[in-house]
Amino acid sequence: MAQESALYTAIVNGNDKQARAATAEALAAGIAPMELIQQSMVPAMDEVGRLFEAQDYFVPELLLAARAMKSSLELIKPLLSASGQKMAVRVVIGTVKGDLHDIGKNIVASMLEGGGFEVIDLGTDVSPQSFVAAVETRQPQIVCMSALLTVTMPAMKLTIDALKTAGLRTQVKVLIGGAPVTRQYAEEIGADAYCDNAGAAVGIVKNLLAKEAA
Amino acid sequence: MPIGADLVLHEEPDPEQARNDGIVLGRVIEKTARRWATPLAIPLMDLRLEKTDLLACAGVPAADSEKYHFTSPLNESTIAALCAGETAPLCRGSIARNQALSYIASFPDLVPVGMAIGPFSLVSRLMPDPITAAAMAGSGVAPEDSDEVRLLWQCLRLAEAAVQRSVRSQIDHGARAMMICEPAACTAFLSPRQLKAGSRLFEQLVMEPNLRLKAALDAAGCDLIFHDCGELIDLMVEAFANRLHPVILSLGGSRKLWEDARLVPSDVVLYGNLPTKSFYSDGAMPIEEVVRRTTELVAHMKACGHPHILGSECDVLFVPEAREAILAKVDAMMACAA
Repeated sequence: MAQESALYTAIVNGNDKQARAATAEALAAGIAPMELIQQSMVPAMDEVGRLFEAQDYFVPELLLAARAMKSSLELIKPLLSASGQKMAVRVVIGTVKGDLHDIGKNIVASMLEGGGFEVIDLGTDVSPQSFVAAVETRQPQIVCMSALLTVTMPAMKLTIDALKTAGLRTQVKVLIGGAPVTRQYAEEIGADAYCDNAGAAVGIVKNLLAKEAA
Repeated sequence: MPIGADLVLHEEPDPEQARNDGIVLGRVIEKTARRWATPLAIPLMDLRLEKTDLLACAGVPAADSEKYHFTSPLNESTIAALCAGETAPLCRGSIARNQALSYIASFPDLVPVGMAIGPFSLVSRLMPDPITAAAMAGSGVAPEDSDEVRLLWQCLRLAEAAVQRSVRSQIDHGARAMMICEPAACTAFLSPRQLKAGSRLFEQLVMEPNLRLKAALDAAGCDLIFHDCGELIDLMVEAFANRLHPVILSLGGSRKLWEDARLVPSDVVLYGNLPTKSFYSDGAMPIEEVVRRTTELVAHMKACGHPHILGSECDVLFVPEAREAILAKVDAMMACAA
C-alpha cells in the first residue's frame, strides 16, 4: 500500500516528519494500527538493522530511524489502547546501579520499540531492587541490563541474584550489554544472552523468545 | 606504560578521599609514573570535572552534575554567563588535580601532564540525546528548525569555554603537557555515512574547537596528548594526527597501530593500545592472549619503525573483584616490552 510504503521509506530514511505524515495518511485511509506496525514499521526497523550489520548505517542512522518510528508510534499507540490491543512482548530495560551512562541503553530501547516490543525504560543507576520491583509489577518477558564501566558490571550479577532470590528469575530472559561486557561474562553471571551492538538486540530477543516457545 | 593512576589510587586506604586531596593525589600520580618507569605523570582520567565546574556556574550542585542535562535551548545571557565563568570556584576534584600538578612539577624528572575532556565529548555529557541531535545536524537540520540542534550548538560553545578554562587552570599549576580525551569523536556519534555525503559535522563539532584548543596549548608552550578510544575511521585518525598534530596520539583497541602509522606523521608518537577494558575477565582476555597481542603489537611497531609507547587503550580502571587479574595482565603486557 502506498501509505505503508511511504511509512517504511520514511523510517528507513530516518525522517520523523515524513513518518508521522505517512502514518496519519494511512490511518485516515482506514489501515489498522496493528497492520501498520506489522507491515511497515517492523520491516523498516529490520531493514535498518540489516543496513547497520552491513556497516552501511551507523548508530546515528539507527537513532534517526528510531526517532521516525517513535513519531509514528505516537499516533498509533492511543488507537491500540482504545481498541484494547497491546504489544505482544514487554521488555524492561535499564542501566545498572552505579552507572549513569544511558546512550547505549537508549539505542537498544529504541531498536526494541521499533521491533514491535513494549519497552519499559527504568533509566540509569537502577538498583537490583528496582529491577525486581519492575519484574513483579510489570510482568515483562525480557530484562535488559546495560553497563559501560567495568566497575559497575558486577551490579548485573547482583541484579540476576536478586531476581533469583525473589523467585522471579525463571519468569524472564535476561540480556546484558555494554562496552566492557562479553559473552563469557554473560555466561559467568548466568545471563541468558549477550548483545554486542544495538542493531542485533531485536534479533537476539526474538531468538530468546523463540527458544522459550520451543 | 598503562594509564594506571586509578589502579594506584585504589591502593589508598580511602580512594574517594584521596581523589579530592591534592597532595595525596599528587603522590598517587608520582607513584604511578615511577611504578611503570615513565617520566609522564599522567593523572586520573576523570572526565567529569569540567562538567561539574561548568554546571556549578549554573547553580547545579556537584553531587547532581553527573545526572544533569540541558533539555531545552538556553538564552544568550545564560550562555554568556556560563562561558564567562572564569572566577567561579572549581570543584574539589579540579582543585585536587591542580594541586597534584603543582606537586608533580616539583620533580625535575617527571613531566606534569594535565587532563581534560575534549569539547565534543563534554557536549555529549551535557545533553540527554546528543547522538540524535548530531545526526539531525548532520542530515542538514538547521538550529532554527530544531530545539535539539540549537541546543547542540549551544552546548558546544559552553563545552569549549569550560575545557579552555580547565586547560588554562592546569597550565597555571604547572602542566607541561595536556591529555585531551575525545572518546565521543567516533562513529557512534558521528556517522561516516553522513561524512561521506559531505557533512561538515566532524569539522564543526570536533576539529574546529580542538584546533582552537591546540592553538591555546601551543601559545602556552604546553604539548598536546590527544586520546580517542572510540571507533574511528581513517579520516578521523588522519585529521587528529596531521592537523591537531599532537606529540602523542593515543588510540583505542579497535585500531591496528602499525596500519595507522601510515596515516600519522613520524614525529607524532603513537600510544597504546592493548584492550585493557577486557583485562578484568580471564574468559574474554586470558593472560596468554595479552602476551600474544602485546608481542604482535611490539613486533609490528618495530617493523614499521614508527615511534610508539606501549600502553593501554584507555585508563585502566580498578575493578574490586578483578584487581589481581588486571594487575597481572598489566605486568605481563609491560614484561613483553622489556
